[in-house]
Order: sequence, then structure tokens, then C-alpha cells
Amino acid sequence: MSNASFRARIRQSIGDKTLQTALDNNSERRLRGKALAFDSIPDWREKRQHAHRIRADVIERLPEYLDRFVVNAQANGIIVHMAKDSKEAIEIAVRISNLGSRKPLVAKSKSMVSEEIGLNHALEKEGIRVVETDLGEYIVQLRHERPSHIITPAVHLKKEQVAQLFHEKLGIPYSEDIPTLTATARKVLREVFLTADIGVSGVNFGVVESGGICIVTNEGNGRMVTTLPKTHIALMGMERLVPNLNDLALMLSLLPRSATGQKITVYTQLIHKPLPGQTRHLIILDNGRNKVRNSPLKESLYCIRCGACLNACPVFRELSGHAYIGRDKTIAPYPGPIGSVISPGLFGKNYFHLAQASSLCGACKDACPVDIDLPKLLTRVRAGYVGEDSGNKKEGGEGLFWTTKLFLKTFTRLATRPRLFALSQKLASLGTHLLSPRSEWVHLPVFTGWGFSKDLPRFAGKTFRDKYRKSGIVNREFMPQTPPAEKPANLQTFQPFDLIDQFTSELTALSGNVSQTSSPTQAIIDCLIPKGIKKIYLQPNVLDETLLRRSGIDFTHEPDPSLTVGVTKAWAGLADTGSVLAADEELHGSLLPEIHIAVLKSGDIFPSLLDAIEMTKGKNAVFITGPSRTADIEMTLTIGVHGPREIHVFVDDSNSG
Amino acid sequence: MRNLYWLYNPTVPSVQLFITCLTNSFFPQTGEAVVEILNRLGVDVDFTPEQTCCGQPQFNAGLRNDARMIAEHTIKVFEKNRGEIVIPSGSCAHHFRHNLLELFADDAAWYPRAEMLGRRVFEFTEYLVDKLGVTDIGAKWEGLLTYHPSCHTLRGLNVDKQPRTLLQNVEGATLVELPNEHECCGFGGIMSVEHPELSAEWLKRKISNLEKTQAPTLVVTDAGCLMHILGGLKRLKKDQKVIHIAEVLNSR
Repeated sequence: MSNASFRARIRQSIGDKTLQTALDNNSERRLRGKALAFDSIPDWREKRQHAHRIRADVIERLPEYLDRFVVNAQANGIIVHMAKDSKEAIEIAVRISNLGSRKPLVAKSKSMVSEEIGLNHALEKEGIRVVETDLGEYIVQLRHERPSHIITPAVHLKKEQVAQLFHEKLGIPYSEDIPTLTATARKVLREVFLTADIGVSGVNFGVVESGGICIVTNEGNGRMVTTLPKTHIALMGMERLVPNLNDLALMLSLLPRSATGQKITVYTQLIHKPLPGQTRHLIILDNGRNKVRNSPLKESLYCIRCGACLNACPVFRELSGHAYIGRDKTIAPYPGPIGSVISPGLFGKNYFHLAQASSLCGACKDACPVDIDLPKLLTRVRAGYVGEDSGNKKEGGEGLFWTTKLFLKTFTRLATRPRLFALSQKLASLGTHLLSPRSEWVHLPVFTGWGFSKDLPRFAGKTFRDKYRKSGIVNREFMPQTPPAEKPANLQTFQPFDLIDQFTSELTALSGNVSQTSSPTQAIIDCLIPKGIKKIYLQPNVLDETLLRRSGIDFTHEPDPSLTVGVTKAWAGLADTGSVLAADEELHGSLLPEIHIAVLKSGDIFPSLLDAIEMTKGKNAVFITGPSRTADIEMTLTIGVHGPREIHVFVDDSNSG
Repeated sequence: MRNLYWLYNPTVPSVQLFITCLTNSFFPQTGEAVVEILNRLGVDVDFTPEQTCCGQPQFNAGLRNDARMIAEHTIKVFEKNRGEIVIPSGSCAHHFRHNLLELFADDAAWYPRAEMLGRRVFEFTEYLVDKLGVTDIGAKWEGLLTYHPSCHTLRGLNVDKQPRTLLQNVEGATLVELPNEHECCGFGGIMSVEHPELSAEWLKRKISNLEKTQAPTLVVTDAGCLMHILGGLKRLKKDQKVIHIAEVLNSR
């Protein structure tokens, strides 16, 4: 009985039927999705070990990597700020946001660091309006709640609750139709994106060698807040680095698979510099990370915040993120198994007891894409091995109820004295026989903990130790069987893929459209005319503009949010995920319109991300994989949140042999 | 001819049995089955009465000094003898093999001794299959069986195909899959008393999954899961049995 209010919250969560259904759905769907996604990389075990080594190296040499990263990011034109704690980080953010007389509007995409430092609250205290733009975050912000999951913030809610919320707060007619709810949020938030003065985002990875940051999202809000407002502030935990773009590609093969069961997220952004006329700030936060780095909980810094351990954890499945509370009853910023390690690591004793709520079943370690030994770290928190000073003298047993501690300590006395141990077992046997003379099972009262849901077997009258007599009879007639020969692994014969075919089938599976053509301009005209589209945004030098005009299609080279169609060039295609790469000037044309058309030369299709990621160096680039989407309401996939609802890729094979 | 095997095989097996405190006190019949099976397979079994508990409850609770005291006792007891140490429990084997390395990580004197103990330790089915090469021990059982892979056997020791292979070769038995078998049953040692509400939820789910299989018997490799799940079934007055794999393998 570690902490009365924590246990009360546990009971409250378990008693909440709606919450339990939502959490069961989350866990089951996510585990299934993750397993399916990993099927497509048969060598994932090696990848996982490789990723572990990369993260271990980064944390080991963090000061050196951090210095190089900062120098490179600054050389790219990003303004870097170091914050030693949440107070400093907030001061920096407020200073940047202060536009003088006018109070700015802040559009924010998901950032766990901002939750950790309580940024929204701090900005609002300054009179600055902050709008969360991730659908799930937007919902919990409207409800004045904290996110209950680091990936799906509104995982605790049913669609009826969202419907009621939108009806009350946004004044729309009550509707439980998830696409309608999503479209409403799109409409409201589009206005916010276009008028916001400042965009705030998190960071998934900082790339040391290129001095860039990587942000992965599905809805498109991350792209909006980093490209539309004049000022962008990115918040990053100081440990979130990878040495180079190749290592990033490896991490990106594991992160979305683990987080949402996707091979790659819809938008994988690489930001290397400010856009023309834009100021880009990066706030790098310590807030206890250096302390954790020098403590036995160091390995917890390898975390890439995918949330897989939450989905796999039977404790999280009963609780949701809202029940992980400290002694002061505040909700821990990070829930789940990783949270029960890093919340105590970063913020100390207030959260120690969280680590006792685990059976150490190891499902989290199994799920972790960078193989963090979470059960081991949980036992370290329990032992009080948290701070830099943790030595062997600590008594430990952090967060244990005193009776449990007394029982275990008494047990230790017995277990180091064999005769006493044997005697105690006799006494226990006598005791349980007295308690339950007729049945072999003892009905213990609820307060014992054990009696809450189960009976206790009586201690045996004769223990094994009493019964054992060495027989000495050895059957020498026995012939051991030969161990079954390991079947040779079923090696799949290598099948050379046609890259275009693979690209097409991957993107089509994500409800994207792919057409192969030798004259993209004509093919696009044939696609636009039946839709009745008269004017499009067009990136220069992509299509035959004379032919377009002759066919009655007007175009502009200036991004215009009122246009339905944007046509951009794709710098590269990725066959194994169906992604296209857009960079710099294509950013808005591929984001704002409802329909995005990309023109991809067939020769520019690469097998995978690893083969194309170097192209993003020094650019603001995004790998786009299918239409914008979300699963933030009841894990139901909905297409077209903030980004395009449709994507058409025209593969131009005119120059290929 | 067969006897010759033992003459030229230098590894004529002679093992130590670590019975574990739960098996000793609650399920001595499991221990007897282990001894009978091993004896029948030509393995000499030794049991030293100085052994007590592995100290895992203390370690898991974070009482590391206590865990160390118990571990040192166990190390000393088993340094007096030789041979592999067979344990009818995945979690105690996992404790010896992995947790002791963590426990003595900073102790230059004890670490190698702990490591040596860890190397001698085998979970019962792991010993049968990986060390003895036995996959069919001639057991007979009537009816449906289903298997719950205990967390520390499955994820702690990576021992999974061993118990399954042994069960598949039990004559007369039909092994059916337990839905969501990989889920923890909710025992978790002291967690089941520290957080009884959580423990109860997982137990409920495990029992409902067991009922879906229609199997009257659930097989486990750990006395902890056994007393927890069976205790839950007793409380609910249900008829299903939970049984340690050694007892299934010892039925003829």
C-alpha cells in the first residue's frame, strides 16, 4: 500500500468502465499494429540492438555531441538556447513570444517537453493565447485536462465525450461522426495556423552532423506550426540526439512502427534552417537530464518517446496517464513504465512510489525499440538508486507500505538461517491449518492484499524439505534423445522488386493515388478537368505551363490557402513506404491544399529512406507518405486532418529506358 | 550397449535441486515430480537443506541489502557442491542468472561468485530440453491442456519452446492456445499485496482467457503464477486446475 492517493486513483480508473474499454482498445490495437508493422523488417532484432548502441553512445558522449549539434544548428541559422530547468526554458519562450504591445497567438503542435515544463500554463499567465493543434491535444486542452498518453493524448475518451465537448465549446450540432468532428477541428484550427504569430513544436531527434531537427507527425499540424508563423520555437530534451542522418533513418524505421504501427509517419520533417523571413529558435532543455545521466537510471535517457511500453504495459492498461500521480497529487508528466523511471529520475521522491506499481513482467522491455531494460530500472528506483549519490548504503524499498517492508525484512532474517527458516515454515503451516482446518485454501480478509481477489493455499503439513529422501536410484537404461536439429531458417530468396510497383502498392495501401505516365502535364489535366478545377497552385518548372493554359487551367506560383489543388515536384520517392520527398519551396504547396499532386521522375525512386535521407541535408524537407490522417478519437483512422485529404503521385517515366 | 553412453559421456548428470520457497512450502508435490522425472532420466539429484529462498522478493521490492544477504547465503551454500542447479521456477532462475549480476555489479569480490552461480542455474524445462536433449519423456495425460508462459520464463529467460515441446509430446493430451497468453497473470510477487486492485484485474482477465479455451487444466512453470491463478479460481469457486509442468510430465 504504497501511497493512499495513488491507490485511490488506481481504484477510480479501474472502476471507470468507459475508460477501461478505451484503454483495452488502445492496447489491443496498438500491439497488433506494432506486430504487423515489424513483420515488414525481418531484421528488426538487429536493428533494435543497433539502435540501442547508437543511443548508448549518444548518452555516453552527450556533452561532446551536444556541442557539435549546437554549432552546426547555429551555422544553419537556427537560434539555439540552452535551458537548465523549466523556469529558464519558460523565460526564454516568453521572451521570444513577447511582441511588445500586441499579445501574440501561439499555435502549438505536440511536445512532451512542453508538458514537462508546463509551458501552456506559463504563457497563458503572460496573457498569451496558446492553441494546441494536434487533434488529441486540442481535445484535452478544451477539456482543461492533461494528455493521458504520450502519443494519443485523448486515448481515455470515447467519441460521445468528444461529440458533447465540440457541441458545447465549438457550437456545432451534436454529432458522433468522427470525420465530422475531425473536419470541425480542421476548420477551426486552419484559422489558427494562418493567423498565429508563433509556432511551437517538439523535436523527435536532433541530428548532430547536419545540425537539423526531425519532427514526425501524421496530421500535418507539425508542418503548419513550423512553416506558417513568422517565428518557430522548437523544444527539445537535451538527450534527443542522433549522430548523423543514417542513424536517424534507422531510428525512423523503429519509431513509427513502435508508436502507431506505421512503417513511416505521414510527415517526416527535417528542418535545417529558417524559411525566408522566418526566425527559428531551438530551446534545449536539461531539467534534470544531466543528473539522470550521471545516475544509475542513465539508460532511461535512451528513450525515443514512442509510447510502445505504455501500450504493452498491463499497469498502464488499467490506469491511463491520468492516474500516475505524485505524492502531491500532481499528474506525472510522463506515464507508463518509462514514466515510472524518468519521473522519479527527473523530479525525485515525489514519484518514487510509481515504480512499485509493476509486476516486472517485462512486456515493456520486449516492446522497447531501443531495448531499454525497464524492469531493471524500475528495481533501481525501488532501491532508491536515483540520484548521483546513490550508493549501496540505501535501505531502499521506496514507496513500500511499512507492513510489507517489515514482512520482507523479517523474511530476510529467516532466509539467512536455514533451521529457523524450516521452523518458520512449520509454524506457518500450523497457523494456516488453524485458520482453515477443513479446506486446503485459506480465505484471507481483504486488508491483507492477497485476500482481495484470491484465496491462499495452506502451507503444506510436510514441506518438500521434510519429504525429501535421496533415492540414489539412477536409471541407467535411459538414453537421451538427440536434441531436435535446429531447422535452417527459411531463407527467402531475394526477389528484386520493381521499385515503381512497390512504390505504387505501398502508397495505394495508404489510400494515395499513383499513376504512371509519360506526359505528366496531360495526365494531370485529365485528372483536374472532371473535378471542375480551374485554378491551381503550381510550383515553377514542374509542368508544361503553355499546355495547362491551353487546356483552360489557370495557375499561380504563390501559395494561396484558398486553392484546392497544389502541384509540386517530388525530389525523391521511397519504394518501401510509398513516400515522396518535398523540400523548401514545395512545402506550402504540398500542405495547404486539400489535394496534393506530386510529380515524381521514375528514376528518382529509391528503395528506402536510408537511400534518400542524405538529400535532405541543409534543406527544410519532408517525406510525405499518404494523405494527412489521425487516429486520435477512439483510435479510428480518419483521413484529412490539417494537411491534404488526397495525394496523387504522377510517376513520370518519360526519360527512363 | 545403452549403459556405455554414461561411460563415454563425461557429463553424467548430477544436479542440485533448488526447490524455491514457494514450492517447498505450498507445492512439495511439484518438487517430488521434478526429482522423479530427473531420476528416471538418469540424473542424480541432490538437495541441500541449507538452501532457503532466492531473495527475489527483496530484490524486486528494492530492499537490495536484504536481497544481498540472502544471495550471499545461497552462493555460499552452492559453492559447497558441484553440477548444474535445476529450479522448477523461471523467476527464481531469472533472479540467479540476471538479477544477481545487477545486485553485485559494484562488488569485485562477490560478482564472480554470483556469476558462477548464475551460470550453473537452469529452469527445469530448459534443463530437460537444452541440457539433456529430452523432448519426450513418455508422459501421458487425458484431455485438454493449455499453457501460460510465465513472464520470467518467457521474457526473463527466453525459455518458451522448451516447455511447449515437452507438452506437445505428452501422449493423449491436446494442447490448446491460451488467448493473450503473453499477458502477466498479476502475481508479481509483493505487487499482488501492494497493489491488489491491479493484480485482481489481470487475474480476472487471465481466468476469463482460460475459460475461453474450455481446458480444465492450465500448465505453468512457476509456483508464483500457480498459487495466484489457482487462488483466484478457488475464490470464484471454479473447477479448473492449475498445475506445474513437472506434474504433467510425471504423469504416466
